Amino acid sequence: MAAAVRENKKNIKLVKKDNGEMDRMRKRIFFISFIPIIFFALIITRLWFLQIQEVDTYRQKAENNRIRTIKIAAPRGNIVDREGKPVVSNRPSYNVVLAREGNKVDENLIKKVASLLNLDINLLLEQERKAARESAHMPITLAEDIGWDGVVTIENNRMDLPGVRIEVIPRRIYHYGNTASHLIGYLGKINKKELAQAEKGVYGNNDLIGKMGLEKLREKELRGQRGTRFMEVNSQGFEQKILKEKDPIPGDDLQLTIDMDLQKAAEEAMKDKDGTPLSGAVVALEVNSGKMLALVSSPELEIEKFIGGISYKDWQEILNNPYLPLVNKLVNAQYAPASTYKIVVALAGLAENIITKDTEFYCPGHYRIGNRTVYCWKRRGHGKVNLKRALSESCDVYFYQVGQKLGVDRIAKYAKMFGLGQKTGIEMEHEKPGLVPTSDWKKRVKGVAWQKGETLSVAIGQGFNLVTPVQLAFMTAMVANGGTLYKPGIVNMVKKPDGEIIERFSPQIISHMSGQGYNLQLIRGGLLEAVNGKHGTGRRAILKDLDIKVAGKTGTAQVVKLKHVKHLKDKDIPYKYRDHAWFTCYAPADKPEIVVTVLVEHGQHGGSAAAPVAQKVLEAYFNKKLHKSGDVNVAF
Amino acid sequence: MLRFDRRIISSFDWISLILLLIILGIGLLNLYSSTWTGTSPSTLFTKQLILSIVGIVTILFMLLFDYSLLKKTGYVIHFLIILLLAYTTFMAGDTIAGTQRWIRLGFFNLQPSELAKLSLVIVLASCYATHEAIDGYTIKDLIKPFLLAIIPFILIVLQPDLGTAGMMAIIAVSMTAIVKIRKHVIAVILCMGLVGIPLYWHFVMDDYQKKRVETFINPDADPMGQAYQIKQSIIAIGSGGLLGKGFKEGTQGHLHFLPERHTDFAFAIWAEEWGFVGSIILLACYLLLLVWGLNVAMTARDKFGMFMAFGLIALIFWQAVINLFMVMGWFPVVGIPMPLISYGGSSLLVTIISFGLLINIRSRKDIPAK
Repeated sequence: MAAAVRENKKNIKLVKKDNGEMDRMRKRIFFISFIPIIFFALIITRLWFLQIQEVDTYRQKAENNRIRTIKIAAPRGNIVDREGKPVVSNRPSYNVVLAREGNKVDENLIKKVASLLNLDINLLLEQERKAARESAHMPITLAEDIGWDGVVTIENNRMDLPGVRIEVIPRRIYHYGNTASHLIGYLGKINKKELAQAEKGVYGNNDLIGKMGLEKLREKELRGQRGTRFMEVNSQGFEQKILKEKDPIPGDDLQLTIDMDLQKAAEEAMKDKDGTPLSGAVVALEVNSGKMLALVSSPELEIEKFIGGISYKDWQEILNNPYLPLVNKLVNAQYAPASTYKIVVALAGLAENIITKDTEFYCPGHYRIGNRTVYCWKRRGHGKVNLKRALSESCDVYFYQVGQKLGVDRIAKYAKMFGLGQKTGIEMEHEKPGLVPTSDWKKRVKGVAWQKGETLSVAIGQGFNLVTPVQLAFMTAMVANGGTLYKPGIVNMVKKPDGEIIERFSPQIISHMSGQGYNLQLIRGGLLEAVNGKHGTGRRAILKDLDIKVAGKTGTAQVVKLKHVKHLKDKDIPYKYRDHAWFTCYAPADKPEIVVTVLVEHGQHGGSAAAPVAQKVLEAYFNKKLHKSGDVNVAF
Repeated sequence: MLRFDRRIISSFDWISLILLLIILGIGLLNLYSSTWTGTSPSTLFTKQLILSIVGIVTILFMLLFDYSLLKKTGYVIHFLIILLLAYTTFMAGDTIAGTQRWIRLGFFNLQPSELAKLSLVIVLASCYATHEAIDGYTIKDLIKPFLLAIIPFILIVLQPDLGTAGMMAIIAVSMTAIVKIRKHVIAVILCMGLVGIPLYWHFVMDDYQKKRVETFINPDADPMGQAYQIKQSIIAIGSGGLLGKGFKEGTQGHLHFLPERHTDFAFAIWAEEWGFVGSIILLACYLLLLVWGLNVAMTARDKFGMFMAFGLIALIFWQAVINLFMVMGWFPVVGIPMPLISYGGSSLLVTIISFGLLINIRSRKDIPAK
């Protein structure tokens, strides 16, 4: 180049001699020859800037053009029951996903997909619009769970559907339907708040996340780690080849302490004779470990409906259900313990030497305090009553007197020893602590001094006291096991996909009542009589076909003041004014293994409504046990 | 007339031929990559290769004739091409993308507007070389060259192919620039230009053409159209880096992110696959050619040769610069090919013939015309 310029110069000198018009033009051309040099210098500067200076920026942009990152959902951990029977696992489901190049979406493409799959085009367009509002670059899920035929149709028309792909998403299967719904919980699309709170990169916009129950509480273990696939795509969005792939890591498996057979039996037992679920709760647990065997909040939630967002209609239906299926009645609701509280008062009386096992009170059917008269549930009266009869026939007058001698604060002391008034620590959300009233408490909260008459209500569990079914079950377990309070266990084991156990349940003692062994034994005698005695209130819990004795206590919790409804017959009282029915028991009475606590909301009488439920649960438990050991015998 | 003068061989312009072969080779290599179908070279490549060989044989054969022959026959050729343009514009042109530019010739589609650029150079050279004006050209003197240029210009505008029409105007202006013109005439021409451009914008340009220019000024207004092309082209060039992604390894081109990758944006493919080094090599060859071409003009034996060589270099220069500016995002997308690099039979033939004429002029610099 330089040589050429030099020669041009030489030529100028050469032609200077002729001095003609051509000379002038040569000169002009010589100067013009700098124009291309200047232009090319500019161009090379620009190339330097683009290719050397900014190369990383443009490399990145070219890679962004070329590489599509596809998230591969990790299979969520499985949930099995204590025997390893699958409760929740996954199946592959197929979603139609549309990748977006730039921010334009071809509506014709969506129309094509809709017509191929026989889906409502408006529904798909709505999905697209929704996705467009959320993020400009995320792929759009056009249709979910389209089934194998749909997959074949889409794949066969692949060439007409640039950017459309099938995404395989593991979807939950509930092997027991809605059973244990409050315990297991459900999944839903992650919302903005959850996305913001989560660690960065763990979730994508459309990911499912546990919204309730163990699915929520054990989200970290269950979710696993999603994989990534890097695909090369062309400008139309057709995938060319896989560049790199990182496999997803499946979530950890949970083994529950729950026995699904018993859970199922308990759910069945909580139905009226027409098969309609009753409103209430059933708790079954191991007396000597705190392992939960069954946890029913009835009616169950239809968890399937929650996947991918519940419809407005279904949601309204749940909200309007008078039995409040959304409420986890095991721990979210608090109830007056009613006569089951007499266990607390009895222990307090014995421990504080107010009574002995032989102390007798006379029950004329009522009790007078000051100018007020309170009544025994049995208006005719029980006559002379000792501790055993008082518990077995649930004599109110006996406990009015014991309670009055104790005073509210001494009752509270023993209630707290039974774990009442504090959370049990069960793995369920929004657990309520219940309430153990004391004189201090009343002064603090209500601003009024405690009145003596109120102690009478507390003594029969009708005052300010509140308990949850799970608390009552653990109280019963303490009676049965001699005073040890265990921490509730729901998850028996957490296992990595490769089988490594990363968490194993071991019984955890929260507290132990010392020195109450004899007193508890006396109470156990009363509870045994309550089920098996001729006048016992819990006779409906007797296991007729089994040689196993049950011991328990009934309770009937008033929902409204007696005067509003006493003139009515049971069946004429409006549902919401009917009493709650309690029954809490353990078996076998001589060597307790299992506690069953039943609450039937508005069930009216503990003995008639709740005890039969407990009986069915116990029958299921012992029959299965007998059957099992029978198998073993055959094997030998 | 057909007697071969041996002196042509001794003073043969090897430099032009070698530069032609290098640049042509780069263009073909790049076309091979940009039109690669994934399994085999495309027929476009084969076509271009055959045309190149035909072209080179043609210019070597053309060497037998003295370029002075074109002084008169140039007008005939120009006239014929104007007829061909008129035919394309009004009668038989194949409509591609809303414009009528091509005449189907079976093997390839002829684009008369490309030929018109060449014939314009020849007739203007002839016109300026024969017309003496001691004190400089007056307006009257410029009427003839103006008519020679304006007729094909209007026909091309009507097709409409504004890029090529603009090119015609630039060539005419460039060639006139080395003629001695009286000062007041220059002032008049400048004024006409200042008035003419807004008129041109309002009355001649179509909406889509205006949009191209507007898009260039404000690229965000049109993310998927022209600006998209420019953006992808810049990404292609920039991502090439120092050494490039390698032959046939360019992702922007092969995955179709870059539109018109073998025609208007061919240089972007070259820059992507061969990097800064490859780009510099190509640009150096080009610049060498331009400077050498101007040298050919300066050493021409007569004014006709000088004007023609200058016009041919102006033609190659402006096309290359506008194409490069366009590809690098400094100029609107106007459809000007990069000579020898962009695919296109007519453009290729015209460029090879231009080289042939340069060689002819250079090789005859010491042989007097008969």
